[in-house]
Amino acid sequence: DLRLYLLLTQVSCCQVWGRYNDDFDDGEDLAEFDDNDFAEFEDVNEDPTVEVESEPPPKPAPSSIPVEDDEDEATVEIEDGQDEFEDADAQDQDMYSKYDKDEFEGYEKTNSPFKDTLIYQDVPAHLQNSWESYYMEILMVTGLLAYIMNYIIGKNKNSRLAQAWFNSHRELLESNFALVGDDGTSKEATSTGKLNQENEHIYNLWCSGRVCCEGMLIQLKFLKRQDLLNVLARMMRPTCDQVQIKVTLNDEDMDTFVFAVGSRKAMSRLQKEMQDLSEFCGDKPKSGAKYSLPDSLSILSEMAEVSDGVMDSKMVHYITNHADKIESIHFSDQFSGPKVMQEEGQPLKLPETKKTLLFTFNVPGMGNTSPKDMDSLVPLMNMVIYSIDKVKKLRLNREGKLKADRNRARVEENFLKQTHAQRQEAAQTRREEKKRAEKERIMNEEDPERQRRLEEAAQRREQKKLEKKQMKMKQIKVKAM
Amino acid sequence: MTECRCFGAVAHYKPPSTDSNPTLEDPTPDYMNLLGMIFSMCGLMLKLKWCAWIAVYCSFISFANSRSSEDTKQMMSSFMLSISAVVMSYLQNPQPMSPPW
Repeated sequence: DLRLYLLLTQVSCCQVWGRYNDDFDDGEDLAEFDDNDFAEFEDVNEDPTVEVESEPPPKPAPSSIPVEDDEDEATVEIEDGQDEFEDADAQDQDMYSKYDKDEFEGYEKTNSPFKDTLIYQDVPAHLQNSWESYYMEILMVTGLLAYIMNYIIGKNKNSRLAQAWFNSHRELLESNFALVGDDGTSKEATSTGKLNQENEHIYNLWCSGRVCCEGMLIQLKFLKRQDLLNVLARMMRPTCDQVQIKVTLNDEDMDTFVFAVGSRKAMSRLQKEMQDLSEFCGDKPKSGAKYSLPDSLSILSEMAEVSDGVMDSKMVHYITNHADKIESIHFSDQFSGPKVMQEEGQPLKLPETKKTLLFTFNVPGMGNTSPKDMDSLVPLMNMVIYSIDKVKKLRLNREGKLKADRNRARVEENFLKQTHAQRQEAAQTRREEKKRAEKERIMNEEDPERQRRLEEAAQRREQKKLEKKQMKMKQIKVKAM
Repeated sequence: MTECRCFGAVAHYKPPSTDSNPTLEDPTPDYMNLLGMIFSMCGLMLKLKWCAWIAVYCSFISFANSRSSEDTKQMMSSFMLSISAVVMSYLQNPQPMSPPW
């Protein structure tokens, strides 16, 4: 009777275990047991596991309550499962102690065999239903929002600064120029009366219609306040907003000279970068002490007469009073922009020059500019207007003019010498091209008679050329002797 | 004050051609555009989430630095590409991004 009772309990335990095992149907279990009740229990190894598994389920609510209260039931169940395994470990240890030691020869009992091999898998983060696991994404989106906010704020600030500049300078410009503001799109040159926005940080203004000059292009080059990266970079290396003014002159508005004055750093940089300054002002930047300019400024000049001519008392007054705002002032009749790197094999042409006055001013504030600071730039615009008139009146004396002309001739000659080899090569290729084309024409000629005549003509031309060359060589030899 | 304005001698504005002075142009928007596209492709092909996020940042920076004369279609296409890279990486693998440390 006792044996039957034991068997029945084991059957019921099996059934319970079966429910945990999803691999097979409950219905199947019962059928199997009905057919062969004892077949399941012939395998001795299964018994211990069955006993182990069967004990935890009848247990009531889990003894350890999960620490995180906001976790779902699913998590709680799995933690139950972990508890079960832990209990199973403890039970296993007891199990082994019950067995005869001889039965397990060679088997080394470890203290926690299961604990070493069991890997507790974390619940995949995206199934946890918690936003905290997505903290990197939240960080990224926050960064993007910060970027957008900075873009809007920076753009607005730049716009306000530009408008403030224009408002404080409008009167002066409108009294001096017939055309203030032109974007180049309309057919007729009519005043738009407003700045032309090129970028979120660059504003242009074209003024024209004045005596002594062709036109004036003003560029407000603000800092890239709309770009957060730039804002962060500026925290390391502060820079300031700049106003660049380029006055283009007609040929009769300026005599031939090259002159520049500005901060030491700017002067040394311009001397290296600018085509005309490097060619005509070869000497190192000189101090402006002669004209009682501050030490921070230096002068690059083609000749002393030019410096004396430009640096009159009013100019010196302007420059001294606003020395902190002046980056560079560059007057040149040979202005062609910065040195352009020519690729090999390209035939060089003398760069086109234009009589130009260039002014670069720094806006005070070193980046932390407010619209009120724009008013302090008005005297500098007055200086620009004064310079235009002055340059028209400034004429070199005879000596100066000769010197200037010699300089220009020298520069041109140097240039031609440098490019001589290249130009020769280009000419040679052109001549060969011509010959080839002519030969082809002769070959393609259908009529043999005409072909013969063309060939003869070509030969005669060649002969003539050769004779000419020989004559030239003879003449040179005679001259040398 | 004598009148210095000369209504007859008005010159039309000629925008400076970029061919003559390529060094004056700011290359940032073009570089950022290219970088953005490269990162989007990496993010899409290699299923790297961080690549896709960097691509979004690159397209934003390119937009912020762009000139007003530039084609908005180009901007929008690089923007859309980077957004699609992010969306696709998350659809394929909804797990959150793990930090490199």
